[in-house]
Amino acid sequence: MNNFWTTFTHTAGRRLKSKTFIITTSIMALFIISLINLNTILEAFSGDGAEDEPAVAVVDQTSEEGQFAEMLKTLAAEGSFEYIHYSGDVEQALSDAENDDFTYVLELTGTLDALQAEFYGEGTDFRTGQEVQQDVQRTKETLATSALDLNEQELALIFNPVSFNEKPLSGTGEVQTAETHMQTYWMVYGLVFVIYLIVVTLGTMIATEVATEKSSRVMELIVSSVNPVTQMLGKIMGIGLAGLVNLSVLVLAAFAGSYLSGEDFFTNIFTEVIDYSLIIYALLFIILGYFVYGGVAAMLGALVSRAEEVNQAIQPLIFLAMIAFFVSLYGLNAPDAIFIRVLSYVPFFTPQLLFLRIGMGTVPVWEIAVISALLIISAVLINIIAARIYKGGVLMYGKFSFKKGIKQALKLSKKES
Amino acid sequence: MTLIINNLKKTFDKHKAVDGISLTINEGEMFGMLGANGAGKTTSFRMILGLLDPTEGDVRWKGERITYKRTKLVGYLPEERGLFPKLTVKDQLVYLTKLKGMNKQSIIKEMRLWLDRFGVPEYENKVIEELSKGNQQKIQFIAAVLHKPELLILDEPFSGLDPVNADMLKNAVKDLQERGTTIVFSSHQMSNVEELCEDLIMLKKGKAVLQGNLRTIKRSYDMKNISIKADYDLAFLEDVKGVLKIEQKKDGADVKVENEKAAETIFSCLASKGFVRKFELEEPSLHDIFIDKAGGAAHE
Ligand SMILES: Nc1ncnc2c1ncn2[C@@H]1O[C@H](COP(=O)(O)OP(=O)(O)OP(=O)(O)O)[C@@H](O)[C@H]1O
Ligand SMILES: [Mg+2]
Repeated sequence: MNNFWTTFTHTAGRRLKSKTFIITTSIMALFIISLINLNTILEAFSGDGAEDEPAVAVVDQTSEEGQFAEMLKTLAAEGSFEYIHYSGDVEQALSDAENDDFTYVLELTGTLDALQAEFYGEGTDFRTGQEVQQDVQRTKETLATSALDLNEQELALIFNPVSFNEKPLSGTGEVQTAETHMQTYWMVYGLVFVIYLIVVTLGTMIATEVATEKSSRVMELIVSSVNPVTQMLGKIMGIGLAGLVNLSVLVLAAFAGSYLSGEDFFTNIFTEVIDYSLIIYALLFIILGYFVYGGVAAMLGALVSRAEEVNQAIQPLIFLAMIAFFVSLYGLNAPDAIFIRVLSYVPFFTPQLLFLRIGMGTVPVWEIAVISALLIISAVLINIIAARIYKGGVLMYGKFSFKKGIKQALKLSKKES
Repeated sequence: MTLIINNLKKTFDKHKAVDGISLTINEGEMFGMLGANGAGKTTSFRMILGLLDPTEGDVRWKGERITYKRTKLVGYLPEERGLFPKLTVKDQLVYLTKLKGMNKQSIIKEMRLWLDRFGVPEYENKVIEELSKGNQQKIQFIAAVLHKPELLILDEPFSGLDPVNADMLKNAVKDLQERGTTIVFSSHQMSNVEELCEDLIMLKKGKAVLQGNLRTIKRSYDMKNISIKADYDLAFLEDVKGVLKIEQKKDGADVKVENEKAAETIFSCLASKGFVRKFELEEPSLHDIFIDKAGGAAHE
């Protein structure tokens, strides 16, 4: 235990105190802060303030004699368009639009019971049309109800919304509403990405550190004092801590940035996007995933003789993480697929895929327990095997070959009596 | 009897690196492990330390194997020297010795004593890669002994040192022995072995070809050297039975003979030939014994 702490604090301390770490973390933090404040910064440079709402020229040729356009103007005053009651005909309006007097032209014809609207504009966003349609519809309803002279109750009868709830078939199931689906989608996406980043950055760091100690030959001295399992875990966790500090600084930077920008980005995320039980799972899987991938990274680092060979040796691991990444992206659209289910049992994919399945609500509780147990067991096994190869690898020099290396390392660390 | 090695064997892919050596090393003894390149010295050390598991046989220190629970008791100077190139002398000694269970204050105190002793107190805050190879080796040695181990294993401790530093290190090793440390070391410089150790083992292809007390070995060794001074040509001795080698000098010759019998024959030959200023029977040097016994290992 003592040696574990010594290795742990040594590894973490050396990283946290290193100039490279401090500088890169600060730069990343600054980058995040400025990214969040990008709008403010750009505005400060471009000078002029609030953006104008796009203008829509309304050519009212309905039986309502301009009343419709006026009503539209008042009703939609708060909306995202500025409606202008245009007195000319459509041709004039369109040519004015060409001259950039306004962005869109809306032509209204017919009577209230058969209203026709033509909407002219450069097609960009389909939502523009939808919004304008809603505005027109709302205006029509208002005019119609006032023409019918309905009282409050009659109005309520028509307009009170239906109370619509989604419920699962069985008591314990879950329903994916559009909203929770989006939440899960983003969380799974985020987690898979974080794991990928962790594997690529921290995994490489672990392997490089091991390979450096090996190539400087100080490793033989170290493993003559410390059990390689202890040393490896101390190292993996030390680097994990440095990674955690790095991540926390970046999250803090994001908070600071959003505070500065005045937008309540994070309250938004916390109240609307994130589901707390999922956060717990995410943390659990990130940690377990880190151990699975970290153990293999340490092993790969011990198989090479020179630090320059690390990138080559760690390639298979990065491929695995990459495959997990793409499978997860596919799984987001087909969480029920049988191969997603099968792959979620494979330790290298479990963190991402089980999380995906939990998020998408396609996995029963017993299966979560079984797969998590499997993941924990394999994390332990992987680290024990890795430590053996690690110990053997220390005494092994020569050109890197994955298969030969593992065989030889296992032989060297063999318990023979 | 503290370090007991019993029929130790290590096989790498059918190649027998160490082939059944047995040893007993007493507490406080300085023990030499000799042998040509590839004879199995480093492999034996690694098995003593538990870095490699023996194919057969075992090693016991005070009755128990050296496991990770007991590494505090052992100090090791590996043949392949290596420290953290980017760490300062202080940082790495603190880290490496903490792993042996010593606390930081005592480490720093002890480290300063050693740096002073080696005449390099100014290295404390220097980064290792800035030091010369020999000076790195001093630090490596300090890393092996800082925690005051009971058993110290030195794999070729003197290689790469200038004579002054080699002497400094030799004295340090002697002092440690006087303080009661049991020391096992390997060396290719026979003079160092003769100077330092009482007992030794000589390995050839993983097997012991000689083993025991240095003086006894020398005395009982058949091969002898004769130093002769005479006024006439001694070349005719070459044809005497039992003469291995003759080296003519201005006023005599050094003759290497198979055994004492041959020396007697030479003596009577010379007596019949004329006056002899000097006739001295010498025990062979360890160098001679090494070449006789362990030499040729690489060629066979
Ligand atoms: N990891 C290994 N894998 C395979 N063979 C090995 C390994 N380590 C050592 N050997 C072999 O074992 C034999 C003994 O090697 P060892 O390093 O013990 O010799 P040595 O006596 O220390 O030699 P030197 O004086 O050159 O240091 C050699 O033939 C060597 O090739
Ligand atoms: Mg050796």
